Amino acid sequence: MKPFEYYSPSSLSEACTLLAEFGADARILAGGTDVLVELRKQGAKSSEVIVDIARIQTLRGIEESGNSIVIKPLTTHSEILHSRIIENEAPLLRAAASGIGSPQIRNRGTIGGNIMNAAACADTVPPLIALDASVRLHSSKGEREIVLSEFFVKPYATVARPDEILVEIRFPKLAGNARSAFSKLGRRNALSIARLSVAAVLAKSEAGVITDARIVPGAAFPKWQRVTEGEKVLIGQKPSRELYSEAGKKVSEVMISFTGRRWSTEYKEPVIAVLVRRALEACE
Amino acid sequence: MKHVTINTTINSKAYVLDVCPNMTLLDVLRDELGFTGTKRGCEVGECGACTVLLNGQAVNSCLILAPQIDGHEILTVEGLADGEKLHPLQESFLDHDAVHCGFCTPGMLMSAKDLLDHTTNPSELETRSAISGNLCRCSGYQQIVDAIVETKFVNREE
Repeated sequence: MKPFEYYSPSSLSEACTLLAEFGADARILAGGTDVLVELRKQGAKSSEVIVDIARIQTLRGIEESGNSIVIKPLTTHSEILHSRIIENEAPLLRAAASGIGSPQIRNRGTIGGNIMNAAACADTVPPLIALDASVRLHSSKGEREIVLSEFFVKPYATVARPDEILVEIRFPKLAGNARSAFSKLGRRNALSIARLSVAAVLAKSEAGVITDARIVPGAAFPKWQRVTEGEKVLIGQKPSRELYSEAGKKVSEVMISFTGRRWSTEYKEPVIAVLVRRALEACE
Repeated sequence: MKHVTINTTINSKAYVLDVCPNMTLLDVLRDELGFTGTKRGCEVGECGACTVLLNGQAVNSCLILAPQIDGHEILTVEGLADGEKLHPLQESFLDHDAVHCGFCTPGMLMSAKDLLDHTTNPSELETRSAISGNLCRCSGYQQIVDAIVETKFVNREE
């Protein structure tokens, strides 16, 4: 591993001062499950300064705040998996966290790191976008809040400036009649990078008519987004396998309109449709 | 590169160490302190050979920078036995012929220790899930799973 200067600030303001000073030369370290792999790569652009934020205790934890859920960025995937709040209020996020890496990775990897690394296969992002999450960024110049669906520019790039730290992830609680699910397809169960995934939320009226539908595929689009065309197929309808398949087909069409036809399309076209159907069925 | 002084506890013994920040916990354990029971495998967090417990949780020591263990507690495979008396998990691995080439064994034992410390009588599924971050290239998974599942009976009799 190439040499670097190492700082481990114990407060947010101290961390911001360091980031303001070193700018793009600095790299924020949280759980390290992605950063260390990067640092060890031969020929990779080396970071001259590592700012380890793990000591900043205010960046840990999950809490209910009125009608919202707040997750602090240093919360590990294991903590999400064992959180009663997440189990009750965001089961699709729990499902996504349960499939990340391995127990060892989940014990270290953080939700903030998963978002900031911005890999197209990041498992926690589709559920968070389906939950209409937003993120709060902090720097010595102030704070700003950004809707997560507008936070990503392209894989591995976000709108966050080098001097900003992610300090909070927030989303409104789902309505009482809403159900949610996450379906992922990898090459094996453990330690697998998502080839495709789908986060879904579905709410029905007492008469059994679908009133809210959210579909967010992962690793399918250049940027994460809700596929409103697919959601529209569902709204106002009564659930059925055929309806879910139709929504899946729509999502597949929209995906191809973004990515064009490439070598993997023959595979992804039917598979994403099935994943959408499965995710919707799992919302029952 | 500025060195960093860290305070840590490894296998119940306190250490004050002067480390290069670009060393990993794995480097410190093997190269500085001679705890070579922890194995160096893929070094990208995929094989689990370097698994140790950090504050009681299984982690890949190849993905942790040495300064990050300041103030924390580490348990390696060397800390499992009580003097000459093997840990029940180690006895069970021997009883079930769960060691083939042995390279994955320390990591498997530490993942299993995390499981048994937090789950009483784990099922086979829970056990397989607990060692899903540990690869055995001799492919002796069945014996390993049996050894871990059977360990609980040893514990229960105690």
